Amino acid sequence: MLSWSSKINQIPINVRAITDSSIDPVIPGGVALLRFVDAVLARSAVDISAAVTVVMAELGQAGLVDAAAVIGNFQMMNRVADGTGMPVGAGSRRRHADLIDQLGLDRFDHTDEA
Amino acid sequence: MTTEEEISIRPDLAENLQRTWANLARPGAKWTGAQRLAIAAEARRARDRALPGSDLPGPATEASRLLAVNPAAARRSWVEALVAAGLDHESYVELLGVVGRLVAVDTFYEALGLPPRPLPAPVAGEPSGEISAQARPGRGWVPMVGGTSITQALSLIPSENAELARFHGPMYLTFEEMSDPTIAKGLTRPQMEVVASRTSALNECFY
Repeated sequence: MLSWSSKINQIPINVRAITDSSIDPVIPGGVALLRFVDAVLARSAVDISAAVTVVMAELGQAGLVDAAAVIGNFQMMNRVADGTGMPVGAGSRRRHADLIDQLGLDRFDHTDEA
Repeated sequence: MTTEEEISIRPDLAENLQRTWANLARPGAKWTGAQRLAIAAEARRARDRALPGSDLPGPATEASRLLAVNPAAARRSWVEALVAAGLDHESYVELLGVVGRLVAVDTFYEALGLPPRPLPAPVAGEPSGEISAQARPGRGWVPMVGGTSITQALSLIPSENAELARFHGPMYLTFEEMSDPTIAKGLTRPQMEVVASRTSALNECFY
């Protein structure tokens, strides 16, 4: 979804930033959004407050609210996927083989484990 | 701490949060309203690193807590052990839906510096018993309708699957909107995907 939407929108993005905090994702507000997600998932009130200030300054309140909502939604969807053992289909794996390899995502796949 | 009045939340999103909260309190297919709220409270306690504190059966307490704090640790064998201990697939799927939405809403509030929304009072009544007769075992760990797919993940309990879809739209995108790479709300689509991808990476979710 990330590489597809950035390609269609002709917005360059460095997808490696998703798993490597030292890399700038390049897209507008990208660093602020990543710091915001990090703070929220770490549940650090101090870091959340600091990240909110930056996201507000760069993307406005609508951007901040949407970012919070997207994080919340994926907190749910990650649980649903993990809790039901949702497999990634063979076709999807083939299509995204480069990305899976680049980001080392295979380490997260536990659907075939007992 | 911020208050809800200080933050402008889109009307469709505000309504979604309100409706979801009311839904948690109503009887589901397998659990009463009081039991669904006990599941939500147990998930919240686990996230706050508090000890278990409900009257839920042991397997339900265990499932609520693990799914709330460490879903990546779930395994097929773990789900099978819960089922063997008396938490049937249907009850598990409904519990998963409740925990997922509780964590989603709590995360949203916390991200905006808002205090957690108090859990509502339970709505009296018996569980409906509505379970899909079309659900079949597949590649996932629980039976689903029409094959294994994320949009059908909770389809063993139709009301839970429908609630997940209703919740998903205002929080992110509807399943139909997801096929539009140019859609934008408060964020552009690539910005939404950066947030979604980082969240999934930190949760160690491969899917």
